[in-house]
Amino acid sequence: MLCKSNSPAVRRYIVRFVVSMVLYAVFLALAVVIFVHFRPTGPVAWLLAVLPALAIIGQIAAFGMYLAEERDEFQRHSGELALLWGIGATLSVTIVWGSLENFVHLRHLDPTWIYPIFCIFFGIAHGLNQARYK
Amino acid sequence: MKNRLRVMRAEREWSQADLAERLEVSRQSVNAIETGKFDPSLPLAFKVARLFETTIEAIFTDEN
Repeated sequence: MLCKSNSPAVRRYIVRFVVSMVLYAVFLALAVVIFVHFRPTGPVAWLLAVLPALAIIGQIAAFGMYLAEERDEFQRHSGELALLWGIGATLSVTIVWGSLENFVHLRHLDPTWIYPIFCIFFGIAHGLNQARYK
Repeated sequence: MKNRLRVMRAEREWSQADLAERLEVSRQSVNAIETGKFDPSLPLAFKVARLFETTIEAIFTDEN
C-alpha cells in the first residue's frame, strides 16, 4: 500500500487515512458499548455521539492536507477533479432523494449515509481518472 | 495545447518514467502532458524547457 512509486504526499495521506479509519472504528465501538450499557445523557452523550463523526472529519482534513502537500500538479488536479465529481454527484443524488422524500414519501435517508455516498462517487471518479491517464 | 515532448523524449531515448524522474513528477503526468490531456503550469513548462535546453515555445504551441 505504501509503495515507493507513491509521492511522499500520497504516503502521508494513506497513513492519515488509516489512522482516521482506525479512530472511527474505535470511537464507534466505544459509543455503541457505552450507549448500550450505561445510557449516558447530557454533554457526555453529545460528546460520545460526535466522536465517530470527528474521525470522519479527520479523514476529510487528511485529503485536504494531501491536496495542499502534493507537489505533482497533475496528480493534484486529478484529486481535485475526483473531489468535484464526488461532491457534485453526492449533491445531485441527495437533492433528488430529498425531493422524493418530500413529494412521494420515499424512505428517509439518514444523513450519515451522505459521506459513504460521496466516497463511492469519489472512488469511481478517481478510478476513471487513473484509467484515463494510465 | 500541442507539444513535441514525445518526439524530444524519443530523441534522447528516454522512457516516460525516465522523463518523469528528471522532472520530479509522476509517469501519468508525463503521459497526460504528451497526449495533450493536461496543460502544464508555467513553472513546470519552464522546467521541461530547461531540461531539454530549449525554449517553452520550441516544445509547446498554442494550436488546438
